[in-house]
Amino acid sequence: MYRFFLSWRFLRSRRTNLIGVFGIFLAVGALILILSIMTGFLEETRRSARGSLSDLIITLPPYSESKRPRDPAPVLEILRADERVEGASAHLGWMCILTRQDERSLRILVDSQSSEIAGVKLTGVDPATEDSAAEFRHSLDKVGRSEEGEIVAPRLRVSKLEDPFAAPPEYNANVGRPRASVIVGEKVMTYHGLRRGSFITLMTAVPDPKSDTGWSAKKREFVVAGCFRSGENEIDLERVYIDRGQLARFLAGVSEDDPLPEDSILYSEVLVKLKDYAADAEDVRATMGARLYKAGLLDETCTIRTWEEFRGALLGAIENERVLMGIMLSLILVVAGFTIFAILSMMVTEKRRDIGILTALGATPRGVLALFLLIGFWDALIGALSGAVVGTWMAIKIDPFERWLSETFGVQIFNREVYLFDSIPSVVTPVAVAAIVLGAFVCTLLFAAVPAWRAASLDPVEALRNE
Amino acid sequence: MSSSANIVLSARGIVKRFRSGDSELEILHGVDLDLRSGERLALMGPSGAGKSTLLHILGLLERPTFGAVDVDGRDAWALSTQERAALRNRHIGFVFQFYHLLPELDAVENVMLPAMIAQSRGDFREDRRAHIAKAMDLLANFGLSHRLKHRPTQLSGGERQRVALARALFLDPPLIIADEPTGNLDRDTGELVLELLFRAQEQRNLSLLLVTHDERLAERCGRVLRLEAGRILGPLPGRG
Repeated sequence: MYRFFLSWRFLRSRRTNLIGVFGIFLAVGALILILSIMTGFLEETRRSARGSLSDLIITLPPYSESKRPRDPAPVLEILRADERVEGASAHLGWMCILTRQDERSLRILVDSQSSEIAGVKLTGVDPATEDSAAEFRHSLDKVGRSEEGEIVAPRLRVSKLEDPFAAPPEYNANVGRPRASVIVGEKVMTYHGLRRGSFITLMTAVPDPKSDTGWSAKKREFVVAGCFRSGENEIDLERVYIDRGQLARFLAGVSEDDPLPEDSILYSEVLVKLKDYAADAEDVRATMGARLYKAGLLDETCTIRTWEEFRGALLGAIENERVLMGIMLSLILVVAGFTIFAILSMMVTEKRRDIGILTALGATPRGVLALFLLIGFWDALIGALSGAVVGTWMAIKIDPFERWLSETFGVQIFNREVYLFDSIPSVVTPVAVAAIVLGAFVCTLLFAAVPAWRAASLDPVEALRNE
Repeated sequence: MSSSANIVLSARGIVKRFRSGDSELEILHGVDLDLRSGERLALMGPSGAGKSTLLHILGLLERPTFGAVDVDGRDAWALSTQERAALRNRHIGFVFQFYHLLPELDAVENVMLPAMIAQSRGDFREDRRAHIAKAMDLLANFGLSHRLKHRPTQLSGGERQRVALARALFLDPPLIIADEPTGNLDRDTGELVLELLFRAQEQRNLSLLLVTHDERLAERCGRVLRLEAGRILGPLPGRG
């Protein structure tokens, strides 16, 4: 009984213990806060990458010698028949150079140091099925909204979400020849100084067996129907959406309204969205791969990749940073542990006589050990619990807190433009909080064990010697 | 021996050596000692005779190099650390020259300390009221009813020694070991503490082992042993 009673009394009577408690509080609070924000970053990045990438990406290069069918329908049919698959959609991707009648295009083309680029990835999508596999319309809807959700920049958005490739109201289809619409990334829009209804010219090369170089150049003018925002810099800077059929016509060199020729290139990849990515991704990849291969729809030139493999480097970097932050902040915990070690060591020296008295009154060395370990335990209990509460609260409230700080002191701490996040992401995972609290306990008790051991091995006679 | 039944404390052939550097120093050269139930025994001797060491060995705080100490008929140094600690807790009450109270605890808590050590948390909580009542009763008997909630630093020397006395008696041990209990008190205060100690000893029929320098104090004990240069010189003639 005396262990609990006395450890609490000793703790209360020595204010220096508060330093150790405060150290643990700080370490636990900071660990929870920072790791929550890093987890938030990771999840937000995953989400934004996912918006444009979908769960599985099947790449099927349209080589002329391949025996695969020209149309994606059989592939999509097999994929959609699987009950684990939420949706599938075909893409046709093609690299192009984007120019417009403006000096800006020349500047972008000649400036090798510019972050503004003329090369774009023209992505042909089926607007009807694209949303079943990727967050296509969501990225269109994000454009030009204020924080409250109201639309503040209507001239940047596509005019009709349900028919995104419809000609924009600013475009008069009767002027000149009809043009197909494209939806450009938000950064493409600003860097090239585009508006809804602007004309752009896209140029590229397509394989051509009849040409002596094997390639022939294509060029066509398009009208901008609006822009999208995926939230991922690379994509908003490079991607241009177009109706897949129109892209096929552009590459085949036939007019916007003409039927497609037999041998035109119709798709280059298929996006698959799963109902439960975490559980099924690997299995679906293996079984679908085998089934498609057997049906002659895949060959050795094709790959099936998860979206994480595409974004592996970025996600790995953030994950790495999170682990590093965890290790660095754990050092605070170690410092707090040292403080407790120092304070308890002092206390043992100071309480030599009391330890002798307790032994004379019948306390065992084991009891004395427990007594001093318990002081460390109280330190950890108070420090870790208060740290966990405050850290969790801060992690949940970090966005309004940062806004308040920024407004009060006029310094922008978190630049939302840099990260393309509308708010500071933060995700509190109970398991992580529990692990941090547990770590604080283990660390504190390990550091408390040394002075406690010393107290237990004190010679009571030595401690009781008359002063 | 018919009297062996009521022997509370018995020491046989106690030898204590200390190592200091390369040489060994023998403090006690084979001490025999018996303490009977209800007996008042004074241990006298000049400084450096080995009184404190003997006291610590008899109080089970220090292991003798050779020899055996029997408390309550059990060979204490053959027991485990836990069992020996329990024996110290239940059978021996200590009174020290410098009181040795815990500064964080008030008078009542200091008195209850042996029970806190003896009992688990649940048991102590169950008996808490009874313990507090007993501690207050003991303190009141020693004239400290107005000092129950005072910390040691708020008490005078005599008051502290009375609290220490109450603590030694709290678990009703059959044996009290007192090391110069009045050595740090003025004559009147010392006299008062001694009165209380002797009265408690008589009332409870305790065995008392008293270490003292004071001849007059020794005279009031039933038996006096002199320790000189690590040997017992035997009872002084004409007394006891």
